[in-house]
Amino acid sequence: MKAAFLAWLVPGLGHYYQGRKGKALLYAVCILGLYLVGFALGGGKVVYWRWVNPMNNPEKFAPHYIGQFFVGLPALPALIQGTIRHFAPESNFLWGFMAEPPQNVLNGLILRFNKLLEVGTIYTTIAGLLNILAIYDAYEGPAYLDLDEAEAEAEAGQPSSTVARPEGAV
Amino acid sequence: MGASSNIYWLILPLVVAISLVYSASRHEAWPRIWSRSLRLSLWILAILICTRAVLLLINTQV
Repeated sequence: MKAAFLAWLVPGLGHYYQGRKGKALLYAVCILGLYLVGFALGGGKVVYWRWVNPMNNPEKFAPHYIGQFFVGLPALPALIQGTIRHFAPESNFLWGFMAEPPQNVLNGLILRFNKLLEVGTIYTTIAGLLNILAIYDAYEGPAYLDLDEAEAEAEAGQPSSTVARPEGAV
Repeated sequence: MGASSNIYWLILPLVVAISLVYSASRHEAWPRIWSRSLRLSLWILAILICTRAVLLLINTQV
């Protein structure tokens, strides 16, 4: 459970905690890389959250943040900003970093970045969705630890402990 | 090649990342992770190219 929480907090950290350093590196590079490139493509304005009821105000709802949330710590300031802005709209926490951009700024970004804004949103959202797989891997271990894989490892001369269920996994 | 067509290259890192993370979450052995992710990348790209070709065909014929 601790490994799953760490995997959510920083992609790859849960696997590093379990001693699966190769996988930790792979998850960190792929997920954080995708997130950071997407964040840069969108001019740093594609990760934000608004506390609105999607039934009453669907245009203001930011569904992409539901995916982005699972990147963990890198996307967490958006949730904090959204919550602070909900209760204190005039606040300037962290100089507005990851705060919901005003509508005129969003319009300007669409003109400036055009489709890259959408690509940035897709990259950051998919990074979060991919981290769900990584969190599950940290929690439960890989899906296939079947006999074939163990036999293949044994044939290659590696000890079978390399494919044993990782420590920390339930 | 115009700026609008360059945007299609941005699908490549996305496909590679999706394939690697998906395969790594399914398998523990590295040779299997690499081979499965390569296979998945090629499948995704093939489906995307076929879909693009069909849509292009429909768009030019209708």
